[in-house]
Amino acid sequence: MFTKILIANRGEIAIRIIRACRELGIKTVAVYSDVDRSALHVRYADEAYYLGPAPARESYLRIDRILDAAKRSGADAVHPGYGFLAERPDFEMACAENGIAFIGPPASAIGAMGDKAVARMTVQKAGVPVVPGTEGEGGLHDEEILAVAPQVGFPLLIKATAGGGGKGMRLVERFEDLPRALTSARREAEASFGDGAVYLEQVVEGARHVEIQLLADQHGNCVHLGERECSIQRRHQKLIEESPSPIVDEDLRRRMGEVAVRAAQAVNYVNAGTIEFLLDKDKNFYFLEMNTRLQVEHPVTEMVTGVDIVKEQIRIARGRKLRYTQDDIRLNGWSIECRINAEDPFNNFLPSTGCINTLSRPAGPGVRVDSGVDEGSEITPYYDSLLAKMVVWGETRGEAIVRMRRALREYRVIGIKTNIPFHQAIMESHRFHGGQFDTTFVEQRFSIDENIPEELPRVAAIVATLVAHQRGQQAAQIVRGPTRDASNWKLAGRGQAVR
Amino acid sequence: MKYATSVGNQTFVIDVNQEDQVSVDGELTPVDFFSLDKATAFSLLLDHNSYEVLVNEESGEYQVLLSGHLFNVRVEDERARRLAQASRGFMPGSGELQIKSPMPGLVVAIPVMEGQPVKKGDVLVVLESMKMENEIKAPRDGTVSGVRVQSRQSVEQNQTLVTVT
Repeated sequence: MFTKILIANRGEIAIRIIRACRELGIKTVAVYSDVDRSALHVRYADEAYYLGPAPARESYLRIDRILDAAKRSGADAVHPGYGFLAERPDFEMACAENGIAFIGPPASAIGAMGDKAVARMTVQKAGVPVVPGTEGEGGLHDEEILAVAPQVGFPLLIKATAGGGGKGMRLVERFEDLPRALTSARREAEASFGDGAVYLEQVVEGARHVEIQLLADQHGNCVHLGERECSIQRRHQKLIEESPSPIVDEDLRRRMGEVAVRAAQAVNYVNAGTIEFLLDKDKNFYFLEMNTRLQVEHPVTEMVTGVDIVKEQIRIARGRKLRYTQDDIRLNGWSIECRINAEDPFNNFLPSTGCINTLSRPAGPGVRVDSGVDEGSEITPYYDSLLAKMVVWGETRGEAIVRMRRALREYRVIGIKTNIPFHQAIMESHRFHGGQFDTTFVEQRFSIDENIPEELPRVAAIVATLVAHQRGQQAAQIVRGPTRDASNWKLAGRGQAVR
Repeated sequence: MKYATSVGNQTFVIDVNQEDQVSVDGELTPVDFFSLDKATAFSLLLDHNSYEVLVNEESGEYQVLLSGHLFNVRVEDERARRLAQASRGFMPGSGELQIKSPMPGLVVAIPVMEGQPVKKGDVLVVLESMKMENEIKAPRDGTVSGVRVQSRQSVEQNQTLVTVT
């Protein structure tokens, strides 16, 4: 087993990985930037090394500095988490060159699936159905994209070939909007992944995003851990995920699982990975992309399968044979995850920065919170807005929803705005209860002001009035000046002096 | 002290004259109002019903976050109400609007120029923050009277980006 692992990441996922290492008796090394010196992941780890200034490209994306920290600390493995360098084949190769194990797939698999256009082509050859769009290797210039767009048909999606996490994507309704959307998408892709190349995909009407979690070892064994439903998204960023999916039955799960395993084997995949599918109204499924890393929403799969995916990742990287056969994997109960972001749901989800003055996390039966922040944490604009993942498990989907509602009420964050009210509203939504939603649900069919309980406006009025009254009284005190209203201390003091 | 408080299209007459009760539209209710952090968080016991509330004041209006719902509440005391009625004759001029940055970030693009006429909803500045692009739009029709920032500049929260007349 490894003796020491360096976690090349920050926030909640760094803590998640540190926890797995602790349970395996492995020492942990954290890395941090200027603004993360007092971050929770630095305080949790056994050792910590400074990387550089706050912007990711000067710290968490600095392969040289990370490898330097690994060598100085004597780490024999690196876990990249998600985002940052997790899907950079050059990072994996640099680790290999320095004799440091990379807890993830081989560089060849990352490269094959990392370029989304190449990935589509590769799995198609292995008999996997893909979402219709531009063919071939990608790397198309603007003129070529404009030329081929009408064949793909409108509305269409511009996607970054180096992409992931919903960044660098744009929905284009009409041909006239294409040039501006192209520029914007390329710019966002360049900023997020250092590569502005894009490809086009047809928009699948009423699509649902269902993904399959895989684990593959270095000995050719590969199993799937069931599916996750991730259709509650905004601007292509997932907000709520659940496992299993309300529309997937045993038979569909088996078929999707088999196709997912075949796609992974087409690139000789090793370690944890996820195949994303789009399901249309008729439950036909199409390969969207493969994420060659641990994903944000992995906890819901852990809750229903009982498998600790991060510990399995570490074991696989050490060369161990997979401990499970497909028959060993059973889904039990239902799990839902809400991503708690530093965003204001009442103001177009604008990011919120500042200091968390008060933080109170939910607990109790079936509740799991993977948080990267604590009271006193400073939220800056340099990294993404994810603060924590609120995860619940219930025997049924109904119980999971009720439990999530209960847990969200207990979650208090004061000092910055969070999207907790948004999650509360979704948990009250009839359509969410009915499992009837697709990827357009949040943006098109959902309003955060549905169902306001009757007595609340009156309570809000009373509270605002009491606050206004209190502030009015305080202001009046200050204005009145030092006469009979002098503080009691002063009066007492004067009384003393006179005695 | 009597207040006229409005939420949405409802108005309540609220009298706060005692520590432990308020009168709402004539009806007396016991209250226990306690500040949790001296600023924005409060615990309210309204006739023994317990509510945890976050309150934020912005330009004379109170934003009240209660049980996952956000309310915009306007509170007018008797004095303010009389003043408001007196000055109702005035029509405030359209003045210069300062379009401020809602958060710290990086200016990625400024698709407008000084002197350019804009319509409500037109994109004035594109800011990058938390790895996402955010479009700052014109709140009403007008003309761009000044561009105070440039591309690739870092801006603070509330920093003026563009002015519109």
